[in-house]
Amino acid sequence: MKSLKNHFSVILPLFVLLFSLQFTFLTNKIVDNYSKKLTQDYSIVVVAPKSISQAVVKSRVSGIKSIEEISSKKILDRLKGNISSKNISLLKIALPKFYSMKLESFPSAKEIERIKNKLLASDLVIKVETFSKTHNKIYMMFQALKNTAFVFSIFILIISVLLMFKQMRIWLLEHRDRMSIMTLFGAQFWMKSAVLYRLVVVDSFISTGLVAVVYLTFPKLEIIETFSRSMSITMPEFDILKDTSVLLGASLVFSLFIVSIVIRKMNRE
Amino acid sequence: MEHVINAENLTLAYGRDEPIITEANMEVNPNEFVFITGKSGSGKSTILKSMYGELAPQKGNLNVCGVSIKNISTPKLNLLRRYLGIVFQDYRLINDWTVEKNVMLPLLIGGFSKGVCVKQAQKLLKHVKLLHKADKYPLELSGGEQQRVAMARALAHNPVMILADEPTGNLDEYSSEVIWDLLKNAKEHLGTTVVVVTHHIPSTLGIDYKHFFLESGVVYEVS
Repeated sequence: MKSLKNHFSVILPLFVLLFSLQFTFLTNKIVDNYSKKLTQDYSIVVVAPKSISQAVVKSRVSGIKSIEEISSKKILDRLKGNISSKNISLLKIALPKFYSMKLESFPSAKEIERIKNKLLASDLVIKVETFSKTHNKIYMMFQALKNTAFVFSIFILIISVLLMFKQMRIWLLEHRDRMSIMTLFGAQFWMKSAVLYRLVVVDSFISTGLVAVVYLTFPKLEIIETFSRSMSITMPEFDILKDTSVLLGASLVFSLFIVSIVIRKMNRE
Repeated sequence: MEHVINAENLTLAYGRDEPIITEANMEVNPNEFVFITGKSGSGKSTILKSMYGELAPQKGNLNVCGVSIKNISTPKLNLLRRYLGIVFQDYRLINDWTVEKNVMLPLLIGGFSKGVCVKQAQKLLKHVKLLHKADKYPLELSGGEQQRVAMARALAHNPVMILADEPTGNLDEYSSEVIWDLLKNAKEHLGTTVVVVTHHIPSTLGIDYKHFFLESGVVYEVS
C-alpha cells in the first residue's frame, strides 16, 4: 500500500507533465495543419504592367510558391455590350496583367510586408493587394493559441517539478538509513541510489504508457470527433512509436535529473 | 611490519568544538586483538569513527591499512571501507532487507555474484546460529539476534580488520558469548585484526590482546 502510494506520488506529476507536453505538441500540429490549409486558400494579388514569369519573381522574392495569371477575359466580356469591339481590343492592350501569388507558408504580418516591399521594389509590379487585415486576425489567433498552450505547459512543468522534488525528499528520508549504512560499507554512489533510480525509471514507463493510452483514445471519443468536424480541424494521430519515444525520453530525462539533484544535495548535507 | 593502524599525534574534534582526543599515538599490528576502553564520553567511539573515516583528524596523522584518513577522497574511502568490517552498538541493519540480504551487503558492494553472496551469507548465519531466520526481517529479531546478524555481516567479506563499537553493550550473556567467540575466531582462524571499543574486557576471553585506555582525551597504552 505504501509502495503504491510512493509510486502514485511520482506517476501523478509525471503524467500531468507528459500530458501537457503532448497537449502542446498536439496544439502545434493542429495549428500547423490548419495554417497549411489556409495557405492553400490564401493568395496575394499583384498588378503588373506587363507579363511576368514565375522564375523571375521567385528569383527576386523568396517565399513565393506559385504565380497564376488572373484572366481579364471575364471583365472584358462583361463590357462587350457597352463598348465597341475596337475599343475592347485597345482596352485589352492597355489593361495591366493581374496575378494571384500563392505563398510557401502561412506568413506573419511582417513577412507579408517584406514580400510586398520586395515586389514593389522589383519594378515587376505596380500594385500589391495582401488582404492583410483578415490575414492578420487569423495569424494573431494562431499565435495566441500556440502561446497559450506553451504558457500552460510551463505552468504545469513548474507544478510537476515542485511535486517531484517534494516526493523525492520523502523518498530520500525513507531511504536515508539504508544509504548511510551502505556508505559505511563502502558502497558507491550508484549502488546506494540504485533503488531510487529504479523507482523513477519504472514510474516514467508507467506514466508514459498512461499518457499514450489517453491520447490514443481521446481523439476517438464521439464528442471530440464532433467538435473537430464542426471546427474543420484534422485531429493528428498519436504516433505510437515516435510520440511514445519522445514522451518516454522527456519523462526519463526529467525524473532522472530531479532524483540526481536531490540525492547529491542530500549527500552534501 | 606495516601497522594496520598508525596514529601519530592524532587530534579529533567535531567541527570547531574542543578536541575530544588530543595528540594520541597508537600502533596496531596485523592480527592483533585490541581493546579501547574508557569512561562514557571519553572519546572511545570517536576514535573508532575516525578509523573508518567518518571523522577526519583535526591535527596529526591517522593511517588505516596504509591509507591516510586525512583528506581522503570519497572513492578511496569507499575502497578502504570494503576491507573493514564494522559492528555498531545499535546494529545498523537495513530494516526492509531480510536477514540474509543484510549479511550479503558487503559482498554485494564488493561485486560478488548472487550465488556466492547467498552461499557465504548462509554459512555465516549458520555460524551465528540464525540460519533458520534468514528470511526474517531485522525488526522481527531480538536485540541479541540482530547483533549476531550484524556480526555475520561484518565477517561476510573476510575483512582485514573488524572495528566493533560496544558490540555486546546491550546483549544478554548468551549473545555476548557468541559475539566474543566470533571475534576471537576471526583473529585466530582468519588472521583478522580486531579493534573493540568496550566498557568491560571479558575475563574469559583467553587470548593475548593490546589495551588502550582513554581518559580526558588522552590515550594510554596499558601494559
